[in-house]
Amino acid sequence: MNCHEAARLIDAYVDDELAAAEAALVADHIEGCPMCRQRVAEREWLKPLVRSMPYHAAPARLRAAVAAARPQPRRSWHGLAWAAGLAIAVTAAGAVGVRARYTAQATTALAADVLDRHIAALASERPFEVRSSSQHTVKPWFQGKLDFSPPVADLSAVGFPLLGGRVDVIGRRRVAALVYQRREHVIDVFVSPSRGGVAASDTRSIRGFQERHWIHADLSLWAVSDLNDRELAEFVQAFESAVR
Amino acid sequence: MAPRDFDAIVAPHMDAAFNYARWLTKNDADAEDVLQDAAIRALRFLPSLRGDDARPWLLAIVRNTWYGRLAKQGDWRHAASYEEAMDERRDDSLGPEALVLQRRTVEQVQRAVESLPVDFREVIVLRELEGLSYKDIAAIAGVPIGTVMSRLSRARERLLAILKTATPAGGGA
Repeated sequence: MNCHEAARLIDAYVDDELAAAEAALVADHIEGCPMCRQRVAEREWLKPLVRSMPYHAAPARLRAAVAAARPQPRRSWHGLAWAAGLAIAVTAAGAVGVRARYTAQATTALAADVLDRHIAALASERPFEVRSSSQHTVKPWFQGKLDFSPPVADLSAVGFPLLGGRVDVIGRRRVAALVYQRREHVIDVFVSPSRGGVAASDTRSIRGFQERHWIHADLSLWAVSDLNDRELAEFVQAFESAVR
Repeated sequence: MAPRDFDAIVAPHMDAAFNYARWLTKNDADAEDVLQDAAIRALRFLPSLRGDDARPWLLAIVRNTWYGRLAKQGDWRHAASYEEAMDERRDDSLGPEALVLQRRTVEQVQRAVESLPVDFREVIVLRELEGLSYKDIAAIAGVPIGTVMSRLSRARERLLAILKTATPAGGGA
């Protein structure tokens, strides 16, 4: 692959949108081409910057206006009301299936987001905004930055020292990110109020990273790392028993 | 179409729809108008959604609604050149020292993205803020995947050109 061809595919390459074979060709080319390496590096520098832009969530009054505009079943005739009731009962069965599918999709989307933010943090120069191995420093640091208080525990006694924390954004919500370490592996724990709509617990492996999701009280937690799944499970267990 | 379908299918994507509308229109008032129209259309078109992901479907409706309004107003350049109306929303999540660093960067990036032509701006927003696949972006914008790729590439080249040379004193761009 020559430089011209590679340059054309660079964006799809950094976006993970190429087929494996094509990605391998681009990777080969980049290996020996400082200019294309530079292109990749620039894009990787740009990505987290652009992602840090404000996300404009729909204002509550707009949600309300739209909800009010949706068709309401009109029940001026009893017969019609009865028919509408029947129709709803019939579609409710289908709705359960739809909801299950949306739960699975929402969980997958969140899991992808968790991984993205983890990788972005690994790549950034400041993986934490508060750097401390003490839970008594890290936990209060979140005060006034989030509308909930994340559980924080130093787990150095069981081989998972706490490194620090930061505020991050997952699924468009501000979350607490706790940073732990095991040997040379970094573990991020993302904590946010549980919103429902996603699976209560989840374990998955994406591109060599492991993720575990669980609910603690009314908080939703995601642990992500390139640590093996067994040790990540061990970490989750240690975390849970420490904060319980 | 029962109201519950709307709640289950459209409501979860309201934030995505508003964010996209906001980045297209570059101001809150127009974004709200567009989204309100779009939501009503979405209600009407709900039966046309066939088991696909509802988010790109809704975003496509937002886009069509916005272009429809522009066409009706007959004034494309007007909508493309709102430069202020940008509220300076500070990020109060960070400590004071981090705020200075972070804020300047975020504002510069935001300004850079807002300065892009809308075709470029939307692919950046859909890709980086929505995390959509090229395929979904292509469906929303109604262009081939190859066009999505080249627009993203050119958009990023422009952003890099602006941001790499941007100076703290605001002399850039």
